[in-house]
Amino acid sequence: MKLSIEKITYSINSKLIVDGVDLGVEEGTFVGLVGPNGCGKSTLLKNIYKVYTPDSGKVYIDGKDMSELSSRETALEMSVMQQENVVEFDMSVYDMVMLGRFAHQKMFGNDMARERQIVADAIDEVGLSGYEQRSFLSLSGGEKQRTLVARALVQQAQLIILDEPTNHLDIGYQYQIMTILKNQGLTVFSSIHDLNIAACYCDKIVLMKAGKIVDIGTPWEVLIPERIKELFGVDAQITVNEVTNRPNIMFTPADSFNWR
Amino acid sequence: MSNMRIPLFPLQKKSHFVIFCVLTAIILVFSCLVAVGTGAADVSLEEVWKVIVNNLFGSEVFEKNWENSTDSIIWTIRTPRVLTAFVVGAGLTLCGILMQVLTKNPLADPYVLGISQGASAGAVAAIVYGFLSFLGGYGTMAGAFLGALISIALSLRIATIRNKVTATQLVLAGIAVSALFGALTNLMIYHTAVGSDKVKTATYWMMGSLSGASWERLLYAAIAFFVCFALILLLSKKLDVLMLGDDVAATVGVDTGRLKIVIIVVATLLTGIIVSISGTIGFVGLTIPHITRSIVGTKHMRLVPASMLVGGTFLVIADILSRVLVAPEELPIGVVSAFFGAPFFLYLIRRSNAKLGR
Repeated sequence: MKLSIEKITYSINSKLIVDGVDLGVEEGTFVGLVGPNGCGKSTLLKNIYKVYTPDSGKVYIDGKDMSELSSRETALEMSVMQQENVVEFDMSVYDMVMLGRFAHQKMFGNDMARERQIVADAIDEVGLSGYEQRSFLSLSGGEKQRTLVARALVQQAQLIILDEPTNHLDIGYQYQIMTILKNQGLTVFSSIHDLNIAACYCDKIVLMKAGKIVDIGTPWEVLIPERIKELFGVDAQITVNEVTNRPNIMFTPADSFNWR
Repeated sequence: MSNMRIPLFPLQKKSHFVIFCVLTAIILVFSCLVAVGTGAADVSLEEVWKVIVNNLFGSEVFEKNWENSTDSIIWTIRTPRVLTAFVVGAGLTLCGILMQVLTKNPLADPYVLGISQGASAGAVAAIVYGFLSFLGGYGTMAGAFLGALISIALSLRIATIRNKVTATQLVLAGIAVSALFGALTNLMIYHTAVGSDKVKTATYWMMGSLSGASWERLLYAAIAFFVCFALILLLSKKLDVLMLGDDVAATVGVDTGRLKIVIIVVATLLTGIIVSISGTIGFVGLTIPHITRSIVGTKHMRLVPASMLVGGTFLVIADILSRVLVAPEELPIGVVSAFFGAPFFLYLIRRSNAKLGR
């Protein structure tokens, strides 16, 4: 197991948000975390990437207890991409991506030619060549998000955690960013809102509700009408996407209205 | 789109950055010479230069054709005062940069957050009640440091909601904290001082002055400043990362908890020391980093040294103005810095509102 989570619980203001979650993510797989708003997805992820400290339970990465790793050691094992956060101070795309190299750099005597090459490659990988000197704050949402993907990639960690990576993005950017990530061959653990995107990219999907894991399996195993109804309260029909051979989910509101 | 280039700041190239620093340094040296030459007893720039060189080398490099009084005015009164202006300006600028990184907010600065006023109150308490007298000459500084620590804790606590410091919260917290500590300072002064001394002492602590500068006080302030400066330069990469937010910085590999403690200690220590030698001088830490950032960018490896030069130069020039504008009287230097800084502060508030409305 690349990432093992053992009996994580976490509460905010004595309200249990994550309720004894056990989970394993195998090396090289793309695992999606799916569930309704407020089910504890983001809180669970924050417990994994150490913004929160679990009330109880442990997180292991390659068998190493995460709570015993320093910030720098953690950053070398695991990179994190969150929703775009608001920054007050502007910087260039290039500088923004270079910050992802922090954990690899020493105070002095870095091989800057190599560092620059890694950053340039990542910017190229996310399709932002030519944007290096552009102001980060002037970018569109999709461009900003791809910059953050590049920053996560230069961290060169084998595991990448994505906390709602494609929120607020239009459908084109959502697929583009997921494809970039899928092509890296890394172990990915990502919360995903859109079930069709989860179906398209994930090897395994984890269903979560009220702080607990409801089901884990392949998209065909877990994205079934009963589960979707249970989690989101909508009726769904599952067909097959002829191109990807993945489930294609169509929704119908549960409260009927006259849609004819 | 890709050929569209919006330069973030004018001086991207290292060579341009170096030229900027050298030019600022030249302006700084020139301003210092003018500042030493300015005052009730008029002295020519040439004389200033000769007196300083002679005193520096401790021998008559230039033949002495001036009076002893000129020598002492220049060397024992004005030179330490002008150098103190530099250290105070650069130090306040450094504190401003640190507060801005800590809060991720360009409106933060020791004066706006009420930390300078806290330091003032601490220093006055130490002088008036002598409760730190066992520290001897360092009692005032220690008092100022304590006052700064208490006010930063209060101010940040009020300004922070769910780990974020918004512009509104920050400004409101600053108003409250500075009003509280300003009132305390005045209360202590009016409680103990007598006659016209009251007003004079109160003015000193509330609006700043460099008139008490001496070589001895300059020396310890300068040492403290350069130690802090060097430490912050070593941490510059971490500061760059911390600007992205605490969560992001942690996931990129920065130990944010420890770094923030270092920042708070350095910023309060430096604010305390500066306030103890110059009183409260506002807005330097707000305006200078902002202006310098728009010229050399946000990377601290460049921002910190460049804004030290700009901030130091600014205060040396402000000191000249404070002595010239109402000569033979002297304006409190805080009045000069506020005339420049307050409109700038309004502009920044307006800009942060515009951003919210977007």
